[in-house]
Order: sequence, then C-alpha cells, then structure tokens
Amino acid sequence: MTKIIEVQGLQKKFGKFQALSDVTFTVDAGEVVGFIGPNGAGKSTTIRTLLGIIKRDAGNVEIFGKDVWKDSLEIHKRISYVPGDVSLWGSLTGGEIIDLFIKLHGGGDKQKRDYLIRRFELDPKKKAKGYSKGNRQKVGLIAALSVDSDLYIFDEPTSGLDPLMEAVFQEEVEKIKKSGKAILLSSHILSEVERLADKVVIIRQGEIVETGTLDELRHLTRSTVTIATEGDVAKMATVNGVFDFKQKDNQATFSADNQYLNDILMEASKLGVRKFESIPPTLEDLFMRHYEG
Amino acid sequence: MKEKFARWDILFLQYLKRDWKKIIVWVLGLGLFSAAYVPAFEEIAKGNGLLGMYETMQNPAMISMVGTTPVDTASDYTLGAMYAQEMLLFCGLFAMVIAVLHMVGHTRKEEDLGLMELVRSFQIGRQANSLAATIEIVFINVLLALFIAGIMMSFGTDTISAEGSFLFGASVGMSGIIGAGIALFMAQIMSTSSGATGSALGIIGLLYIVRAGTDVSNVDLSMINPLGWTYLTYPFTENNWFLLILATIFSVIVVIIAFALEEARDMGAGYLPEREGRESAKKSLLSVRGLLIKINKGVIIGWLIAFVIMGAAYGSIYGDMQTFLESNEMMQQMFTQSGVSIEESFTSTIMMVMIGLVSILPIAIVNKLFSEERSLHLSQLYATKVSRSQLYWTSIILATFAGVIGVLLAAVGLGGTAISVMGDSRSMDIFDFLAAGYNFLPSVLFFTSLAALALGWAPKLGKVVYVYLAYSFLLNYFGGILDLPEWFSKTAIQSWIPQMPMEEFDAPIFITITVISISLMVIGYLGYNRRDMNEGA
Repeated sequence: MTKIIEVQGLQKKFGKFQALSDVTFTVDAGEVVGFIGPNGAGKSTTIRTLLGIIKRDAGNVEIFGKDVWKDSLEIHKRISYVPGDVSLWGSLTGGEIIDLFIKLHGGGDKQKRDYLIRRFELDPKKKAKGYSKGNRQKVGLIAALSVDSDLYIFDEPTSGLDPLMEAVFQEEVEKIKKSGKAILLSSHILSEVERLADKVVIIRQGEIVETGTLDELRHLTRSTVTIATEGDVAKMATVNGVFDFKQKDNQATFSADNQYLNDILMEASKLGVRKFESIPPTLEDLFMRHYEG
Repeated sequence: MKEKFARWDILFLQYLKRDWKKIIVWVLGLGLFSAAYVPAFEEIAKGNGLLGMYETMQNPAMISMVGTTPVDTASDYTLGAMYAQEMLLFCGLFAMVIAVLHMVGHTRKEEDLGLMELVRSFQIGRQANSLAATIEIVFINVLLALFIAGIMMSFGTDTISAEGSFLFGASVGMSGIIGAGIALFMAQIMSTSSGATGSALGIIGLLYIVRAGTDVSNVDLSMINPLGWTYLTYPFTENNWFLLILATIFSVIVVIIAFALEEARDMGAGYLPEREGRESAKKSLLSVRGLLIKINKGVIIGWLIAFVIMGAAYGSIYGDMQTFLESNEMMQQMFTQSGVSIEESFTSTIMMVMIGLVSILPIAIVNKLFSEERSLHLSQLYATKVSRSQLYWTSIILATFAGVIGVLLAAVGLGGTAISVMGDSRSMDIFDFLAAGYNFLPSVLFFTSLAALALGWAPKLGKVVYVYLAYSFLLNYFGGILDLPEWFSKTAIQSWIPQMPMEEFDAPIFITITVISISLMVIGYLGYNRRDMNEGA
C-alpha cells in the first residue's frame, strides 16, 4: 500500500511548552484514520504541521512522499482541509465563500457544490455573520468536499452539526472512502470514528499512545461478560482473567481479558451455562482508558 | 425601568476591575499630555515670545489646525491664553477618540464576540451593560478632568488660574463624554463593532474639519458644532462655563436616544437594513487579490473619502490668506523677506500633515492580514495552493497602491479647492500640489514597510507602527511651534524630506528612503515565509 501521510518522531514547542514530543503514525491510500485524544493533546497542532501552517522543530513529516514544509504548495493541490473552528468573513455570503475556497483550491465541480449545498441544507445567500456554528461548519465542509482531492483532513468536522447533518457527512465520507481516497479524521464523536475509521491513532500530551485497527486495539482490552449459571456463579470470580466481578443471585457481570476467554468459557461450562453475553469494548472504553491512564 | 438596568453596578465594578490598568494609563497619559507642557510653554513665552506667537497664531492655517483665541490684541495674549489655544482642541480630540474606542469595545464589540449573550443569560438587565460602560467612561473623564486641573495648578504660573485650570480639565473630560455618547449612538445604528468605531471616528473627523472652516471664516458658526463646545470655552481668558452645560445637555440627549434605540432592537442587530447576499461569488472575488480588496474595501473607501474632504477643507482656507496678510504688516514683511508666498508656506506644512494621515491607510491594510490570520479566517486557505508569498505581496502591493491613491486624492482635494477659491490671484497650479504631495510618498512607503516588517517578524507589534506614526505626526504638527533640536525632530521620518514647494526637491533622499522601505518589505517577507501562522494555538 502506498503511504499518503508519514509522520516520524514529530516534535513541536511553543515557547517553553512542549506541544508535541513524539508523534509517529502513517495513513495509507484508501484508509480512514481516526485521530483521537483529549483536548489540548496536540491533534490540531499535528494537523497544522501537516499543512505547513506551523513549522516542526524535529522529525520527518511527509505527505505524498513530499516534505510538508518545503513542498507545501505541491501537496496542497491534492488535499482538502476543514478546520475545527470554521471562521468566516461576516460580510460575505456562504455561497461566495464556498466559491472562493473552491477557486483558490484550484477549481472544483459546480454541480457537486450545488448538490452538497442542497444535501447540507445550507442557505448560500445568507451573510456569514448570521450563520450558527453548525452552518459555518457546513460552509467549510461543502468547500472541501466539492473539490477532488487524494487526501482529506478533517479536524472535528461535525462539531455543531445536528445528528441529521452528521449522518449526511458520514455518508459523504463513505463515498470518498469507497473511491480509494485517504482520510485523516480527528474527532471527539467516537461513534463516528468507530463507524468510519479503519485505523485509530490515539494521542495524549503530545505523544502517540496507541495505534492500530479497532480489532487490534480491542484485543488489548477487556470485554464485558454477563453470565448466568445453574451452579454457584461465585466460583467464576477466582478464574484467571476475570476482573471487577459483580454477582446478583446466580447471574454475574465481569470484565474479561480477551486472551483468557477460552479458560473462562471452560470454567463456565462446568457450572452449566444458562446465559452468556460478551460485549466487545467500545472505542469509548479504549479512549477512557487512555484519558484516565 | 429598574428591570432594564438590573445589576448594572455589578458590571460597572467588573469593568473597573478589568480595566484598572487601562484607566491608569488613560488618565496619566492623556492627563500629562494635556497639562504638563506648561513649563515648555513658559520657555516659548520668554521675552517677546508671546508677541511673536500671537502673530503666528493669527495665521488662518494655524487657526484651522489648532483653534481660535478670543484675544484680539497681542498684549492681552497671556501664557494661559496661548496654552488653551494651542492645546485644548487637540487634547479634547484625543479624549474623544479614546472614549469612542473604549465605548465600542465594551458594547458593540462584546455583542459581536457573543460575550453579551452569556452576560444577559444571568440576572442582568437588558441595558445594564450600556449603562455600566457609560458610567465608567463618565467616571474616568471626571477623574481625568480633576487630574489635569491639579497638575496645571501645581505649576503655580500666574496666568494659569485655578478656575481656568478646572475649566481646561473639564473641557477635555467633556470631550471624552461627548465622544462616548456618539460612540454609543453609532453602536446601535451599525451592526458591527468596526462599523460603529469607523462611523463614530468619522463623525468626529467631520466635526473637526467643519470647525477648521468655520473657525477661520466665522467663529460663531463653530458654536453650533458639538466639538466647539469644548475648546471654545476659552479657559484662562473668557472662561465660558456655559458651553459645558450645552455639551452636557447634548451628551445626555444623545445617550438617551441611544438607549431608546438599543431598547427597540434585537441583540446583534443594527438599524441599517440587512440585504440578502449573492448565491454565488462574482468573478472579481475569486482570487487572493479579489478577496483582500473585498475585505479591505470599507476601510479603503472610507479613508479615501476622508482624504478628499480633508484636502478640500484645508484648501478652502487659501481664499482668506491674502486678506489676512493685508491686515498684518509684520507677517507681510516676514513673507516678503523669505521670498516664499504664504500659500506656499502653508502648502508645505499642511501637506506634511496630510500625508502623515494618508499613511494610516496602508498600515491598516498590512495589519489586516495579521488580524485575518488571528481570527482564523485564513485557516482553510492555507491548505490550498495559495502561497504565503501571494498573501504577503498582494497585501503589500494593495497597501502601497492605496497609499499612492490616497496621496493623489489629498493633493487634488487640497489643490483643486485652493485654486478655485484663490481665483485669479493664484500663485500655484495643480502640479505644484501634486509634486508637494508625492514628494512625501517615501514616508508613506516607509510606514508601510514598518508594518510589513512587523507582519513578518513580530506581528503583534503591528499596532506599534501606529504609535510611531502618531509620534511623528505630533512632532511635525508641533515642530513649528516648539523649537525642537534637529536630532530630535529627525526621529520622525518626514523630517528628512524637504518640504515642497517651500524647499527644493531632494532626489537622493527620495530614492534612499524608497530603497530602504522596499528592503524592509523584502526582509518582512523572509520572516513571513518562515514563521508559524498564529492561530491562537
């Protein structure tokens, strides 16, 4: 697979504050990568470095095999970007701003633009100062989705959008994904990342703490198991790989290390299983583990 | 009624807490600027100084700039009279401008930023904020008035009486209150803070220029000008307290109207109608240049109109100059001896002053690029094929171009009006005015390049360029009155340039300053190209 984004040991300081201390990850062609982390972890700083808006202090950062600082203009021809906080000129209308962005990107599809304006239900004749946060976000999204790019970078793209529009956004992203484009999606809405992303990169305090597919990450954590048995369910508490054991009558709920799943099943079958439910960890669980850890 | 202003006192105390540093700088800075020049003026007044100064100040050009005096014989021209004539109008103007900026900052600006929305969600009256801001400004100006009076009296000069000192201080303070009233009014009419600030300052500029005309032609007409109710109080001579009562009534009425307007409108809305915009962009917008022109359009047009009006206002004075000269033998001799006509002498001075003001426009355009950067307007553009070099140089070229047009309009406004009022007796043609104006073009370029340098290397210092401009401006403005040492006046860039048509054009200086300016712009570019974009991150 061709690497679209390649970040190696990226570091960035603002004055004395070490914003990024070690950021390393890749995005391949045809891949949607979810970029998640708490506020202030360095998501936007990383993205701004990728765009050549700020200059890195150390590390190797390439997009399409080109240096993001030196060859930024070459790179920009083939990418689309939506900032987390779309701020617009109050005196221009949404329609005018979309046209301007498309033109400065190098031209896009007029029909696609009109189609997206309809889909996102934006009033393009309104002056931007009258737009709500969600509507400003739509302007940024429509402009970015109207042009043809090989890489899309979205920084919290759906903040302020209502759930209906969030769904529209997700559908549009799925279309891009199907056509084999790469997408870097920084988001707080974990269900969105879970639905769209092939791979997840978790950043905390300027460092990447976890990278991998959702399946790989799930494997590292515990599933929640609910079990009801004929025999005494309390015996399960002492089995290897069982944590947070809670019992109510002959039903119990506990978290199970995925690697001990087999042992747990063997023990349970001795007691005569009446009910067995296993819920894989959600992205939220993964995320919380890193937030708190 | 009570409900409307509920808890204004909390906001008021909050403002004092938030602004106390600003208030100290405001009162100390403006207070010292207004009152502390008494010893300097004592120097000027020594020997025959007062006599000479009286004659100088009879010149319509001087009156148009600094205001009039009620004294009509040189022997009655005291130190106090001179101080009031030369200082009061200017100090009042400063007080007004600061009050406008502060008032809009606490009202319309807070509304634009969405802070007001938050504040109003608490148990705070709808108009409590405007009341708190108004009272804060009144409080500051009262403080300022007392401070000025105190300092002036502390010098213990004979003709600077206690009554006069209080009137002088009160007049400056009153100017601030009038300015605040105008600002609060415009904050209701306009739907953005920049619109409110711009229009309020525009009104003050217009009042100033109108009074320049009426002061020279007929002082009674200046009495119907709100600005006239401040400096025409004539402290130390006539002590016209009555005018301050007029000014108070005027301010109260303006503020009441503003409150009524605010009560009747929705938050965030203005009274100028909102038009529906375009569904798609015009071709002319679709480029970096188109965008920059569009976002600077209001400022450019506003200032260019101001330059024409300013030129025309000063130009209208030329008609009275010969009349003035005929009535004053001493001045007549002075001009005959120097071999320069009074018109030429005036053109030289006023052109330097006007071109100083023209420099504001290009600085504003260059600084705009950074304010756009900071407000995140450009975030999405950075990720397109638009290069930093394009953004930078388009801004610089637009600024330079605006400066060149500004000089043209100021010179044509001045020259055109002057030639038409002088009639057959004219000694200069339009090319003399244009030459005198473009002679100062390097200074405009220099200020532009300083702003460019700041944009590239230390963008937060962009505003400091205005401070240097104001400093140079004051140095030029008062340089004629105060006898400053050569090196000191040379710290203003304009002082290096000979004043045409009184002096000869100096090509090496013209070229040198131009080359330095262009070099600074290139150095600024090197910085802009390599620095982090400032997005508050």
